[in-house]
Amino acid sequence: MPQTAHDGALADLPRHGISNPILGMILFICSEVMFFAGLFAAYFNVRATAPIWPPSVAEVGPIAEHFDLHAEPWLAAVLTIILVSSSFTCQLGVWAIRRNDRRGLIRAIAVTLVMGVIFLIGQGYDYSQLGFGLSDGTFGTTFFTLTGFHGAHVLGGVIMLSVVLFRAMSGQFTARHHDAVEATSIYWHFVDVVWIALFSILYIIPTR
Amino acid sequence: MATTALTPAATYRSALYEWVTTTDHKKIGILYLVNSFVFFFIGGILALGVRSQLAVPDNKLFSPDLYNQLFTMHASLMLFLFIIPILAGFANYVVPLQIGAPDMAFPRINALSFWMLPLAGIIMLAGFLVPGGAAAEGWTSYSPLAQAKYSGVGTDLWLVAVTLIGTSSILGSVNFLVTIFKMRAPGMTMFRLPILVWTALVTSVLVLMATPVLTSALIMLFIDRNYGGAFFDPANGGNAVLWQNIFRFYSHPAVYIMILIVMGIVSEVLPVFSRKPLFGYKAFVFATAGIGALGFSVWAHHMFTTGTVYLPFFSFMTFLIAVPTGVKMFNWIATLFRGQLTFATPLLFALGFLTMFLIGGINGAFSAAVPVDFALHDTYWVVAHLHYVLFGGSVFGVFAGVYYWFPKMSGRMLNETLGKIHFLLVFIGFNVTFFPMHLLGLEGMPRRIATYASTAGWNQLNLLATIGSLIIAASAVPFLWNVLISLRSGEPAGDDPWEGNTLEWATTSPPPPYNFDHLPEIRSERPVFDARHGRTGGHGGQS
Amino acid sequence: MRFKHPRNAFAVGLLFVAIAVVYYLVSHDAGGTTTLFALGIAMGLAAYALVVGTPDDL
Repeated sequence: MPQTAHDGALADLPRHGISNPILGMILFICSEVMFFAGLFAAYFNVRATAPIWPPSVAEVGPIAEHFDLHAEPWLAAVLTIILVSSSFTCQLGVWAIRRNDRRGLIRAIAVTLVMGVIFLIGQGYDYSQLGFGLSDGTFGTTFFTLTGFHGAHVLGGVIMLSVVLFRAMSGQFTARHHDAVEATSIYWHFVDVVWIALFSILYIIPTR
Repeated sequence: MATTALTPAATYRSALYEWVTTTDHKKIGILYLVNSFVFFFIGGILALGVRSQLAVPDNKLFSPDLYNQLFTMHASLMLFLFIIPILAGFANYVVPLQIGAPDMAFPRINALSFWMLPLAGIIMLAGFLVPGGAAAEGWTSYSPLAQAKYSGVGTDLWLVAVTLIGTSSILGSVNFLVTIFKMRAPGMTMFRLPILVWTALVTSVLVLMATPVLTSALIMLFIDRNYGGAFFDPANGGNAVLWQNIFRFYSHPAVYIMILIVMGIVSEVLPVFSRKPLFGYKAFVFATAGIGALGFSVWAHHMFTTGTVYLPFFSFMTFLIAVPTGVKMFNWIATLFRGQLTFATPLLFALGFLTMFLIGGINGAFSAAVPVDFALHDTYWVVAHLHYVLFGGSVFGVFAGVYYWFPKMSGRMLNETLGKIHFLLVFIGFNVTFFPMHLLGLEGMPRRIATYASTAGWNQLNLLATIGSLIIAASAVPFLWNVLISLRSGEPAGDDPWEGNTLEWATTSPPPPYNFDHLPEIRSERPVFDARHGRTGGHGGQS
Repeated sequence: MRFKHPRNAFAVGLLFVAIAVVYYLVSHDAGGTTTLFALGIAMGLAAYALVVGTPDDL
C-alpha cells in the first residue's frame, strides 16, 4: 500500500497526483478520441446524406449484397468478447503489480497480449471474408477506414504490451514503480472502448 | 545578481553535437525560433512571387499552375512551419522558466517534437522538385481539386508533411499541459501563473483537441487519392463539403492556436513597459478560456456560401467570440493607461499588435454578418482580414517577443535604433500592402486568381500592395543585421535588463542548464517585481 | 481554485455536450454533432485527469 503522497504511479489516490507519464498517456488518449471523432463524423455524415444505408444493389451494383453486416455479426461478436476480456485480464495485471505480484503481472500481460494478437488475426480473417474492399464506394471506404485505424491502434497496443511483458520478465516493475504498466493498460482500455463503439455502430444499430 | 554555482561538465562536446542532441527546453526553444524564421523567410519569398505576379494586370510572369503552387506553399509554410511552431518555441523557452521548473515534463519528446519540423518542411518543399510541382490547391486543400485526378505527388508530400507537423504539435501539447500542471515551483498557484503560461495552457488544449481532427481529414484525403476512397470525391459518391466541415473544425480553433500565445506575449510586455500590473488578470484568464471554448463552435463561418450550413448558429457564435476578445482589448488599453511608458522596441511592436489586431478583429466582425459574408467571401477582403490578424497580430507579437526575450536568451541587448527602423519599415510596409486589399475585396476582386484584366479597375491598388510588400522585404535587413551584430557584440544584458515581473528575470542571461540557482519567494503573479520592491521575504508580502 | 470533488471537473465536458445538443437540434448535422460530442468527452476526461493529477496547492 502506498505510504506517502509520492509513492509510485498509483492513479487511484485522488488529490495526491498522477505521475507525469500516466497523465501524459491520458491526455494523449484525449487526442486519440478526437482523431476517431473525425473518422466517425465522416461516417455519420456519409450515412445521413445517403438515400439509403447501406447503399442498395440498385445504386452501386451487386457488391451491395455484401454490405449487410447485420446478417452475419458472429465473428465480430466473438472478436468483441475477446477484446473486452483482454481489457479485464490487463487490469488484473495492473492490480497484480500494485500488490508487487510480479508473476501475476507476467501471466496477465501474456494472456492479454495473446488475446490482442488473436483479435488482429480474427480481424484479418474477417476482412478476407467480407466480399468488399476499401475502394468499393462510400460504404467500403468508411468501413475499412474506421476498422482499419482501430486495428492499427490495437497493433500499437500489442507492441506496447510486448515491451511491458519483456520488461516485466526482466524484473523491472515493482509496486512503487510501474508507470509503463498503468499507462499501457489505460491505452488498452481505450482501444477496447473504441471497438465497442465501432461494433455497436457498424453491426448493431439499425440502418436506414 | 544571480551567478551560476555549478561548473560545466568536463567532457568536450562540439557545439553542433550539443545542439543536435539537446533535450534542454531553452536550446530546443531557440531551435524552434531559428527553424521557424527560416520558413518565414522562404514563405516571404513565395509571397513576393505572388505580389510580383499581381503587380500589373494580365501578367504572364508565372503560369497559373505555378502561381497556385506559390500561394498554396506560401500559406502552408507560414501557418504550419512558421507561426504555430514559433509560438510553441516561445512557450518552450519561457514557460518552464516562468513557472520555476528546471525543464519540460518530457524533454526527449520535446526534442522529437522539434526535429519533426525541419523534416516536414523539407518533405513539403520537395514538392517543387517532383513532376506536377508542389501542392497547388490552396492550404485549405478543398476537394475535388485536391483529388488525384487534379493534383500530383506534391499534394501527397504536403499531406505527409502536415501530418508530421500535426503529430509534433500534439506531442508538444501533452508536454506543455503536464509541465504546467505538475511542475510549478512552490507558491506558484494556478492564479499566479503569468498570462503567457495561461495562453500556452489553453493553446495546448486546443492543439490536443483540434489537431487530431485535421489528422483524420488528411488521412481520409490520402485514402481518397491513393486507395480509391470515396470520402470527398463527388464522382465516387463522396461529399466535398464533408472535407470542408472536418477541415474547418480544426482550422478554426487553429487560428486561436496562432494568436493566443501572442496575446500572452503582449500581456507580458505591456505591464513591464508601462510599469503597471496587467489590468484584470482574472478576466484575462477567463477570456482566454472562453475564446478557447467558443472557438470550437464557429467553424462553419468559413462555409456560409456552401448552402449546407445552419447560418444563424454560426453567425451568432462568431459574434459572441468577439466579446472575450474585446475584454482583452480593454484590459490591455487599461494596462497602458496612466502608465509610465518606455518606448523600447518590444513596446512598439506590442502597440503595433494592438492597433493592427483591432483592425483585423473589426473586419472579421463584419464578415460574421451572413449577408456581408455572402458578398465578401473568397474576395480580397478575406485576404486583408487574415493578414491583419496573422501578420498585424501574430507576427507583430512574435517580434515583440523576440526583442523582449533576446537579451535573456543570448545575454546581449539588441540595438534599439535598428529595432526602431525595423518596426517602422514593417509597420508601414504591412499597412501599404494589406490595407488596399479591403478596398479590392469590396470592389469584388476574388482571391487566389493568377491574374486580372486591366479593365477591372484594380490596377493601382494591386501595384500599391506590391510596393508595400517590397517595403516589408526591406524590413528584414535591419532585423537580421541587428540579430547578427548583437549576438557578436551587443551590450551585455545582465539578468534583468527590462525590470521584468516574472521568474525568467530572476536568473542569469542566458540561464544555466538547470534554470535557477535560487528562486525568489512566489506570492503573486509578479514574483520578481515583489522581490525587487521588498514585498516578499518577510516584508509583509501580498498576493 | 478548488473543486469540491475532482469528479466535478467532468462538468467542463458538459459545456461541449450542451453545445452539441443545441447544434443538433438546430442543424441536424450528424458530422458536426459527432465532433462536438466527442469534444465533450475528451475535454471532460482531460479536465478530470489534470485536476486529479495536480498537486494539492492547485
